[in-house]
Amino acid sequence: MFEIDYGEDGVIVIAGRLDAAHAVEAQAFLDAVPSPGTVDCTRLEYISSAGLGILLRTQKRAMSQGGGLTLVNVSGHIRDVFRYSGFDRIFRIEPAPATD
Amino acid sequence: MHSRFARSFESLRDIFAFTERFFVEQEIPEDDRHVVDLAVEELFTNMVKYNADGEGPIDLALEKADGRLTVRLSDREERPFDVSLPREVDIEAPFEARACGGLGLYLVQAMVDSLDYDHADGVSTIVFTRKLG
Repeated sequence: MFEIDYGEDGVIVIAGRLDAAHAVEAQAFLDAVPSPGTVDCTRLEYISSAGLGILLRTQKRAMSQGGGLTLVNVSGHIRDVFRYSGFDRIFRIEPAPATD
Repeated sequence: MHSRFARSFESLRDIFAFTERFFVEQEIPEDDRHVVDLAVEELFTNMVKYNADGEGPIDLALEKADGRLTVRLSDREERPFDVSLPREVDIEAPFEARACGGLGLYLVQAMVDSLDYDHADGVSTIVFTRKLG
């Protein structure tokens, strides 16, 4: 399952599995966002290098416009992928709230 | 547990269903699945991209023993491509210089416990292991 859409206040919401099979759909959506900003990852379950590539391309465009992506509610295992790839240096990342 | 998957990115959905079924049947905690799925996706899509002229499905086998998961991918291909060779990705490079080329295999090498490659009789075989728990 993969979904990408606008949430409240223009936040971009990504849900499900951002993998190579969904890369084209995700890139097409993000390329059409005029000024990409906050991305809600609450329901993002999985990301691979294909997904990282899409976020990197979007981040480069956002920064060229003087902005930048903020990824919010990012789960622990997805933060691990960002850390291993060094992408935690590229994006502003806000972890998901701790759960009991 | 063993299955074969068509040489297409569209196979990822079936591959992830396959790994999910294995994890449930073997009672492996879900936390271990993310890394396994990531490694399988990167290696499988690598085979699809760089052996585009290949014919037939790609084999995937999962085995659990002694607290360790062993994953084997096999594909018929003429030219060897050793995925176990060290990949250089400068993860500290300035943002402007970052690209994603080679990042998939770099992540696999960083996140699994062992990664081996063999090419014999026109078949490439990749085996990786991951300690569970």
